[in-house]
Amino acid sequence: MLNTIKSFNFKSWKFLLSVATVALWIYCYSANMDITNSVVASGMRFGMPLALASMVGIMCERSGVINIGIEGTMLLSGFTGFYVASYSKNIVIGLVIAILTGVLTSFVHAMMTIKWGMDQIIAGTIINILASGLTSFLYREGSTVPNTWPIFDIPVLSKIPLLGASLFSQLGPIQLFGMFLIPAIWVMMNKTRWGLRTRSVGENPGAADTAGINVIRMRMTNVMIGGAIGGLVGGFICLELVGSFSKDFTAGTGFTALALMIFGRWNPLGAFAAAILFGLAQALATQLQIFGVNNVPNQFITILPYVFTILVLAFSAGKVRPPAAAGKPYEKEQS
Amino acid sequence: MKKRLGASVAAAALALLGFTAPSSIAATTDDSTCGNTGVICVGVVTDIGHVTDKSFNQAAWEGAQAGAKAVGGIANYIESNAATDTEYANNMELFAAKHYSVIVTVGYLEANATITEAAKYPDIKFIGVDQFLDTTKTTPNLAGLNWHEDQAGFIAGYLSGYLTKTGKTGEVVGMNIPPVYRYAVGFANGVAYAGKEQKKKFPATKIIYHPAGDNAFSDPAFGASNSAQLLSQGYDVIFAAGGGTGNGGLARIAKSKGKYCIGVDVDQWNTVPEAQACLVTSAEKLIAPGVADLIGKFKAGTFAGGNVFGKVGIAPYHAFASKIPAAVQAKVTAITKKVLSGSLSTGVK
Repeated sequence: MLNTIKSFNFKSWKFLLSVATVALWIYCYSANMDITNSVVASGMRFGMPLALASMVGIMCERSGVINIGIEGTMLLSGFTGFYVASYSKNIVIGLVIAILTGVLTSFVHAMMTIKWGMDQIIAGTIINILASGLTSFLYREGSTVPNTWPIFDIPVLSKIPLLGASLFSQLGPIQLFGMFLIPAIWVMMNKTRWGLRTRSVGENPGAADTAGINVIRMRMTNVMIGGAIGGLVGGFICLELVGSFSKDFTAGTGFTALALMIFGRWNPLGAFAAAILFGLAQALATQLQIFGVNNVPNQFITILPYVFTILVLAFSAGKVRPPAAAGKPYEKEQS
Repeated sequence: MKKRLGASVAAAALALLGFTAPSSIAATTDDSTCGNTGVICVGVVTDIGHVTDKSFNQAAWEGAQAGAKAVGGIANYIESNAATDTEYANNMELFAAKHYSVIVTVGYLEANATITEAAKYPDIKFIGVDQFLDTTKTTPNLAGLNWHEDQAGFIAGYLSGYLTKTGKTGEVVGMNIPPVYRYAVGFANGVAYAGKEQKKKFPATKIIYHPAGDNAFSDPAFGASNSAQLLSQGYDVIFAAGGGTGNGGLARIAKSKGKYCIGVDVDQWNTVPEAQACLVTSAEKLIAPGVADLIGKFKAGTFAGGNVFGKVGIAPYHAFASKIPAAVQAKVTAITKKVLSGSLSTGVK
């Protein structure tokens, strides 16, 4: 921990950006508390599905498997989760099924790419097409869940000054879980033996194998953990955030998440920050429309989050490096 | 070997995806007499989805049945299995081959196929539901059935102006395209009109458009999150209009107590049951009467091609019927008449 602080570059753009963000937040907070809380809370709501979805990408790519099937995984999980919850009249079972669907989908991806050495982009594409086709074909309007995951003010946490009202008010258990899951993934990835092994099979599987790490098993496990998170996001959107299933509800979240993963440099906390930043830009665009800024065409306001993302990406480009073995199937050399 | 195995799995998956049972005419009624003089046969080609979807397809099918019944004819339907021009065209040709006299196609996705098939079969009348036509490019046997969205929006907005307690109303809508714009601005003008009537100065209705892209109408998380942002700032009546995006908003608003939401296009009480806790009504396009009316015109020999406008209205209040004061309901009924007759302008061009 101390080393982390010592090695931190206080002149880095990241640090300056964080200081500027906090300063801006405090300024807005003192100007209008209610609206600031509302916008920050909205940013969190927009950002959380993206942040969790980018965790799927991180879990897979850090172990050397590219997964562009996040979109499909979420879609299938949301679908099964919603309809199982609808028929069983139980949202807990629904969420469990959503997560299991995520695991199963990623198992298919893992078998195709890791065991059979298929092209990882093609495998992910198959999952996306299959998910979109299947869920549209089987979709029936008018089903409903008995209730959704509730939304409430988190006791104690929601009373924290400055943060509480925006970060811990009017949210559901899955979103709250996500806020703790992401730092946990960072710790696991950077501070545990499992994390070290994951990173090693993603950077240099040959060396990892020589050191006695089972590359195939390591990758299978990671991809499937990623799938579980993907399932969680599907369940999160359909059973908590929105509370209903609609066709192609993922609306590109899985792909935006991949961009945020790169923006966050394959680091869980980085991707989290990127997702929240994107979410805040989105919430701000909405707020400008609420303020009735009408001397600018609304199209210019609604594209703000994207312009913002492109700008930040442009400034941070050139410094990102993906895990060295990402995208390359590993085959043990035969002697 | 391993790669080949992987490739076969992929091929199998794609083959499975491409496989859909061929569509056929639902055998609800005997249609062997179609083509005989004086026999009117109406065929409905659904958009992907079923005639029991409680939405556009169902409404069009009900309209076709009612219309056929009124003229002593026969109605049948084909449910499309894929959202492709080929699938739609094939289904229309199934009806054409059996000498149906009127073919109804549902939804703007079928517009292209309908235009082509109408040109191919000049003796058959086509009704394109929710298809705004460029009449310089279409044949006179094709009528596009449309609605004045601004009127439906205005009526719903007027009601909202009487429901809001905070005076703050908002809208979470899809892409800023003409029909959505008409709904949105019509709604805002309706609220303002009700405000003026009550001698209250409401802040302008806030319209939040989706940033567009190909997911503008299928982004429920956007709808939900923006609705929540509006709710947290005291907006208590929200018009959520825009396919899946709007439905996400409705479902989210239903989670907050004491707030009202308003649906769009069809009676969303049935299509989004999650929203029943807040759904007062929906700004509705009256699809079934519109279709039935055109079939009646066919019988009478007054069927004309081009763009035809059907009636709009608001859906039943359902559980809210007992909560909305009778005086307000009466006012809404009165304003509906004025708007539909054109004596009261919605202020939307």
